[in-house]
Amino acid sequence: MTDNLLLTTTVGSFGKPEYLTKARAQAARGKLGATELEELERRATAEWIRRQEEIGLDVLVDGEMYRGDMVAYFAERLEGFKIGGLVRSYGNRYYHKPVIAGKVARPTPMTVSWFEYAQSLTSKPVKGMLTGPYTLLDWSYNEAYPTRRDAVLALAEIVRDEARDLERAGARYIQIDEPAIHARPEEIEIAIEAMGIVTAGLSAKTISHICYGDFAAIYPQVLDLPVDQLDLAMANYGYRWLELFDRNPFTKELAIGIVDVHAHETETVDVAAEGIRKGLRYVRPEKLWPHPDCGLKTRTVEECVEKCVAVVEATKVVRKELAKVPA
Amino acid sequence: MTLKTTVIGAYPKIGEGLDGQELRRALHRHDRGEIGDADLDKVFDEVTRATIGEIEAAGVETINDGQIRWDDLLAPFARSWSGVEAGPLERFYDNNTYYRQPVITGPISTEGRSFVRDFTFARGVAKARLKAAVPGPLTFATLTARDDHYRSLEERVLAVADAIGKEIAGLSAAGAHLIDIEDPAVVAAPRHIELAREAYRRLAGRGHALALVTYFLPPDAVLESLASFPVGVVGIDVRSRDTTAFERLDAFRTQYLLLGVVDARNTRLETAEEVAGYAERALKLVPEERLVLATTTSLEYLPRDVARAKLAALVGGARLVTGEKVIA
Repeated sequence: MTDNLLLTTTVGSFGKPEYLTKARAQAARGKLGATELEELERRATAEWIRRQEEIGLDVLVDGEMYRGDMVAYFAERLEGFKIGGLVRSYGNRYYHKPVIAGKVARPTPMTVSWFEYAQSLTSKPVKGMLTGPYTLLDWSYNEAYPTRRDAVLALAEIVRDEARDLERAGARYIQIDEPAIHARPEEIEIAIEAMGIVTAGLSAKTISHICYGDFAAIYPQVLDLPVDQLDLAMANYGYRWLELFDRNPFTKELAIGIVDVHAHETETVDVAAEGIRKGLRYVRPEKLWPHPDCGLKTRTVEECVEKCVAVVEATKVVRKELAKVPA
Repeated sequence: MTLKTTVIGAYPKIGEGLDGQELRRALHRHDRGEIGDADLDKVFDEVTRATIGEIEAAGVETINDGQIRWDDLLAPFARSWSGVEAGPLERFYDNNTYYRQPVITGPISTEGRSFVRDFTFARGVAKARLKAAVPGPLTFATLTARDDHYRSLEERVLAVADAIGKEIAGLSAAGAHLIDIEDPAVVAAPRHIELAREAYRRLAGRGHALALVTYFLPPDAVLESLASFPVGVVGIDVRSRDTTAFERLDAFRTQYLLLGVVDARNTRLETAEEVAGYAERALKLVPEERLVLATTTSLEYLPRDVARAKLAALVGGARLVTGEKVIA
């Protein structure tokens, strides 16, 4: 049996269909109502659930059709945050960087109804998707808390409440992303402490996605991050992080990025399969999860599908190889 | 005498209102082929002109052109020099801001005139003292993603230093009397400090003042070393992390000290008193004539309205130190 080996998944976001991109722009200009926009977001979510099933992914996501940015989405729904002015991230891309202007609080759950909706459309498990407390702080301005640690720990309680609500709503997988975790390697202990607050007492499988940055600077300390699975960009880095596992063995489940999300061209199945084989040198197949390097929101719908197909087809190839090898 | 003030690096390229976003719109239209290079250049120049006006209006003593044409610190140089390309995106130190990593494909060379046109334009606009800027050799070399030509970091750093030296000579010939060398790697990778020193020896002694500007991390590991670098000015960031620098500033015996006291990476606004407080601490060990107050780094990490308010805090703080009345 190779059914529960090399389970495939994705990091969270998918490209938005053109009708939704247009609708969001109209809504931002006040030319489309919230109800109308949500109707289109639900339609796009349903389309992505169906596509993921057709592609054959094992653990699904809602695709984040209702989010612009992984920090701003939460900041807009939390008390204590202000939406700041425009700041450039690169080239001609700008985002509204949130400001922590007062004590943070969560008036209502922020992601649960989207999770419930997405899960109602499929019998496959859908992941609950959250942004971690360290990243929420690092990607915001902090005007309110005396130290970064104070702010991170306050945010951890909020993310914990959201995670518990997701679990109550039936989520068996909860992903708490920390792409900023290596921004200041000397603060890794704060990120670990905060994640401990978030995941304490959860029975769902917990996952954290980390990307873009110097992973070597936080390895092996990051193995103390209290989650079951680390979800890492690998293809974009030529799999060089795997070499770190030679000296300090990797002890968690590994979701391994085998296609680069920032390239328009999709890797061939052979190239993607080779990525899985590289991961298998360090992590057993029941603990290795092939997926794209990162969220796919910057790609078109067609490119997203191609990348996910490459992941699933490559996984089939390697599963067959594993079936031939006597255990 | 009022304490001197200056800015570092890039200024926000767009503002909040629609009329503040002409550059963003022009770049979109240029991407879509709706306007040509000449039209885009005109917008770059206009935004540069407005930026210089804004920094001058705040009362900053030594200004720059706001680096409006620069996508990041390295890409403009990687694109201009031969032997280098602007490669894949990566996060710029501990910021949620990205840069294109240099990819070295052959021997680096340049005529050293890459930014002479821009400097000359800015000089024609500026009324205040205008400085130029280049990236530091250690930063450029350590943030390189791939190097198919040089055999070691040492070789790469020195080759980059030679190219930067040419750019400095070009800017100097165009009338730049002060040139910032933005080199955060000097404090981010202190193990390479002696290599950096060797690189700076190649830049020194060309009849213009050089400022080695560090930021994002405190200079604690290398502070005394920096004081013996062959540069006229050293810039340090005393706000991004805890630092022991205030107790050690007497190490700077001849150089000007550019003290980053206004946090350019957080929207929380310093009061003029707070800025003056940092200056007073420094003045215990550095004479007033060699102290320059500055932002910690590029104000482009902030929205433009906050950047403007930060400049007011900077200048207000500097005036407070010498007892000048602060006009609200």
